[in-house]
Amino acid sequence: MSRSSTVRNVAWLWFIATVAVLIVGFRQAIFLVPTEETMGNLQRIFYYHLPHAILGLIFPYVNVAASLAFLYWRRRDPLKALTADALAAASAEVTVLFVSIGLFSGMLWAKPAWGIWWAWDARLTTFLLLWLLYVSYLLVRRFSPAGQTGTLSAVLSVFAAIDVPIVYMSIQWWRTQHPAPVFGPNGGGVDARLLPAVFWNLAGWAMWGIFVMLFRFALERRRQLAEQEAALQAIEASLETPQ
Amino acid sequence: MNWHTFFDFSTMASRHLVAVYTGVWLIQGSYLAWVAWNWRNTKGSPR
Amino acid sequence: MKYLSHIFNHLRKDLRLEWRSRDAINGMLFFALLVVVVFALAFDPTGFPTTTRQISGGILWVALLFASVTALNQSWTRELRNQVLEAHRMAPAPASALFLGKAIANLLFVLVVEAVLTPIFIIFFNLQVLGNAWLFALILPLGTWAIVVNGTFFAALGLRARNRELLLPLILLPVSLPALLMMVQASTGVLTGELDSIQIRTWITQLAGYDIIYTTVCILLFETVLNAE
Repeated sequence: MSRSSTVRNVAWLWFIATVAVLIVGFRQAIFLVPTEETMGNLQRIFYYHLPHAILGLIFPYVNVAASLAFLYWRRRDPLKALTADALAAASAEVTVLFVSIGLFSGMLWAKPAWGIWWAWDARLTTFLLLWLLYVSYLLVRRFSPAGQTGTLSAVLSVFAAIDVPIVYMSIQWWRTQHPAPVFGPNGGGVDARLLPAVFWNLAGWAMWGIFVMLFRFALERRRQLAEQEAALQAIEASLETPQ
Repeated sequence: MNWHTFFDFSTMASRHLVAVYTGVWLIQGSYLAWVAWNWRNTKGSPR
Repeated sequence: MKYLSHIFNHLRKDLRLEWRSRDAINGMLFFALLVVVVFALAFDPTGFPTTTRQISGGILWVALLFASVTALNQSWTRELRNQVLEAHRMAPAPASALFLGKAIANLLFVLVVEAVLTPIFIIFFNLQVLGNAWLFALILPLGTWAIVVNGTFFAALGLRARNRELLLPLILLPVSLPALLMMVQASTGVLTGELDSIQIRTWITQLAGYDIIYTTVCILLFETVLNAE
């Protein structure tokens, strides 16, 4: 039992640290960091948009890794496979969460800054596609018949992993033929005076994302174990009934 | 920037800035709350 | 050789079943026709021939995509009756042969629909192909295969799911997006004559590459999906 209470203490500590970092980040972003010349105060959206966009591209890798692990262990070690499946589910939800916020904040930034809500360039279209793929992943998980959920969603995850780079490259190539507005921060790098806000918010939201993903993972494991308990009890009850 | 200028809603830019910050906190907060609520309502295993 | 004969047997079975009822083909044809008519009402092809040529590529593939989706779900439900699917699982023949047979059957059905649809399309839209029309003999099969191979796979994936009809287009669209871009760009390029032959050829090559990649992935993963329980 002491192991689970250690885990719980670490979790609480991490959560409190995360909130602290996010508060520091907020203070940096809104009050401390100087106003940018070209875009004015609107540019402060960037400090929330960037971490979510970056993290939205990292969590899918966790999902793909967990899905591949699931497919590998499916027949070899079902219990490990179950854990992998729980991680895949958790990381998929967190992906949708972060990508949604990335899209939402990006669009709200774009409209006052560049006059348009959206552009069909390689980066944005791929990001939208990532969102669509993972929403459909969650729907497959919800609508699939019990017992098949892990396998079907793992297969879809593999397709998603292959699809995203292909989409990026094909639209990139299309846009070399038909150039279109590209907005958002380019590779030019960020002014050094603005870096503290970027750093603190990136760290804060990364810590938050990890916390939420592991919390969701723990919830999924709890559900799985409760299901196993219930199944075991049903079997034992059926054995006790006189034949 | 200070709290006063942060909540100045006269331009689209400042409205969107507030919208993003509050929106992000709302969305992240609701997801965390949802997970926590389900955590409380799922039976803890005796292991 | 045995593998090919397996594929051929599955293909024959699907063709024969379809021939008896002709459900899928009729459904697809009327759906595609409907889409063509609605778009003609929206864009007035006679008044604006240049605009019409520019959007026809997109309209054609939208019509075909939606028509295919209506038929793809159906193609697997016939395997649910009489526990045929269990029989397939137990049979020693490789599962991918079943998949390929069905995918090729679906390809043939959609090609038939295209063969009927294309003249109607040309007539209703007063289309004059400004580029090399023979390229369509490449673009149409490659594009159709891109839709059908993934569509057949995902129709099988969602076969036992609760909301099957919703799930298929939802998964199919994001995965097909690059292929749709390629086929629409190639078709529009040929129709408007605005792209030079190198660019059109690149689109077609990319489409062929997409087909190869996804056919391989689908063949490799079909066994997993069939035996998902």
